[in-house]
Amino acid sequence: MSQPVLEVDHLRKTYGDFVAVDDLTFRVQSGEIFGLLGPNGAGKTTTIRMIMDIFIPDAGTVSVLGATPRQARLRVGYLPEERGLYRDLKVKETLVYLAQLKGMDKDAATRSAEAWLDRVGLADWADKRVKDLSRGMQQKAQFASAVMHEPDLLILDEPFQGLDPVNVELVKTLMRELQAEGRTIVLSAHQMNLVEEMCDRILLINRGEGVLYGELAAIKRDYAPNAVRISGEEDVLTQLTRLEGVVDAEQNRDVLILRLGQTSPQAILAQIVELGLPIRSFEVESIPLNDIFVNVVSGVHPDGSEEGAEA
Amino acid sequence: MNNILTIARHEYMVNIRRPGFIFTTLLIPALGTLALLIGSFFAGQAGAFFSNVFESESKPVGVVDHAGLFTPILPEYADEYLLYTDEDQARQAVTDDEILRLIVIPATYPAANEVEFVTTETGIAAIDIEDSGSLDRFFIAHLLRNEADPTLSERVLDPYAAQVVNPEGETEGMTGVLNIILGFVVPYVLSIFLIITIFTTSGYLLRSVAEEKSNRVIEVLLSSVSPQDLLAGKVIGLGALGLTQILVWIVAGFGLSGGVVSLLGVMIPLFARPWVFVLAVLYYLLGFILFAVLMGSVGALGSDMQESQQLGGVFTFIAAVPLMFAGLIFPNPNGLIARIFSWFPLTAPTTMMLRLPLSDVPVLDIIISIAGLLITIPFAIWLGGKLFRLGLLMYGKRPTVREIWRQLRAS
Repeated sequence: MSQPVLEVDHLRKTYGDFVAVDDLTFRVQSGEIFGLLGPNGAGKTTTIRMIMDIFIPDAGTVSVLGATPRQARLRVGYLPEERGLYRDLKVKETLVYLAQLKGMDKDAATRSAEAWLDRVGLADWADKRVKDLSRGMQQKAQFASAVMHEPDLLILDEPFQGLDPVNVELVKTLMRELQAEGRTIVLSAHQMNLVEEMCDRILLINRGEGVLYGELAAIKRDYAPNAVRISGEEDVLTQLTRLEGVVDAEQNRDVLILRLGQTSPQAILAQIVELGLPIRSFEVESIPLNDIFVNVVSGVHPDGSEEGAEA
Repeated sequence: MNNILTIARHEYMVNIRRPGFIFTTLLIPALGTLALLIGSFFAGQAGAFFSNVFESESKPVGVVDHAGLFTPILPEYADEYLLYTDEDQARQAVTDDEILRLIVIPATYPAANEVEFVTTETGIAAIDIEDSGSLDRFFIAHLLRNEADPTLSERVLDPYAAQVVNPEGETEGMTGVLNIILGFVVPYVLSIFLIITIFTTSGYLLRSVAEEKSNRVIEVLLSSVSPQDLLAGKVIGLGALGLTQILVWIVAGFGLSGGVVSLLGVMIPLFARPWVFVLAVLYYLLGFILFAVLMGSVGALGSDMQESQQLGGVFTFIAAVPLMFAGLIFPNPNGLIARIFSWFPLTAPTTMMLRLPLSDVPVLDIIISIAGLLITIPFAIWLGGKLFRLGLLMYGKRPTVREIWRQLRAS
């Protein structure tokens, strides 16, 4: 990966005595989909607003596309979390206006608005008033408004909120298409399964601080429990619970999960092969991102022990 | 700059379609039309009423002269006054409504000044007799007819005719009611109209900001343009909207009054003192910019439309204070109160627009008020941009004064 598209260094923002973002540092690489995660009130939106030059940081620097947020403003697309459009205006008219403010001339803005309304399936609604659109349709129109000026960096704050499964698929497809075009996406979302599906790397913010940062696969590896999942005949599985190095076993009919102590999954597999027991499948147990999120935020370590608030 | 124009055009196009704008813009000409219609409808009846009144007035007044001073009645009064020799016959004439009233002059006159008025009229009409200048002239003319030389008696009857001049000896234009209407009422009404458009259009600005805040479009806007550009674009767009409104009113005024009357009414006083017109436009523009910026900024501070409007009401109130003191400014347009209001930037535009048509305003006041506005406006735009940024993104609660102050110092 080349030069980072977004560089955030030691960013800090306070509201009175409340520290919203504290010493936050991260990079977003060109062409990736980067997950910006965190519980409500963690400081995600404040961070995004500083990236978008809506808020001025108390300390630290933000570099967007190698420039200041203000200079880069027109090359960034932004879909805010709490969003709306002019209710009394027509859909296309609104999109054209917003695109013009992003530096497009009126003709180009009109062409782009028509193309994007078509792409999100709202072509028939172009001349309807925004208030006549359903919530899902408004969401899609707003998505179009964020991307229609062809930004190099796209910041999507909760783009899946309020969408039905069909439209979630549509937005996912559009995101992948945009990524394929070489655009970089920062995705903030609460649907961890979608983040797992879409993101290359993530940053998890809690209480204004970055608590998890890096390759999603590596993080999942780090947080993976030392456990294996085996399926097979019930009576065979029962015998496996007595294997050497197993500290805990959980059997549910033909599926067995073995938690391991000072041994590796490979050693367990070797023991099974040695014993010549027939099994249907064997896999190293992984942890859903959702569980990592919940554990980190509530201060529970992967091994299950409680940690202090500083986690 | 491009952004400012895009925003200005957008605000203009969106707001000119608002039913509220169309309503107020058409309301004034509609009221004018209504007044004309009512006027022409009642004109016939009113005419009849007035002619009745004047007909009754034109009935002669009877005179019974026991003193002999009024016999015969002078030729110039013969139409209005009818001499009776028989008092009973004269009294009967009053009862029969042949004469308006009867004046019985006793033999003791003029040693005693009591005379008897016989009339069927009551109330105001009866009191009016006392004040009647024409009756005074009737008495004076007959008392003096054999006593003084004709010139002196003429002067006693009509002592002076005033010629109003200024200290330089120049005649003060036209005198009389027409001059008062053209020179003062019309510019005053025009000033009021300008003030109204300042309030309505800066009210639109407040609405537009509060709306963008409540529908969250503001976040997208501020990710594209600076708050200062956004505010400036709105001020220009809505300013153009206000001018459109005035233009519609003026054109409608021409149409309604057949052009000529408006031309006389509006243009003569303006062309008679063109600098008053120029200054009025200048104060209008400066006043509009200042209030629009202030309204836009406080519009961003309220947590909903209603709260924003309450906050904006504070500025409307301050600007309207000179109108409340109009009773003091009117008789003394260069008095201390008027001058103090002129020096304070928030009340200067309204006060100066009221004062300009009324008198020659001291140059010092014009300089101080314009300078004050020119200094205040950039400050208001700067402050407005800050408050904008602060207020727009604080949802659900209104920032406290302490927070605002901290934020202003911080950024």
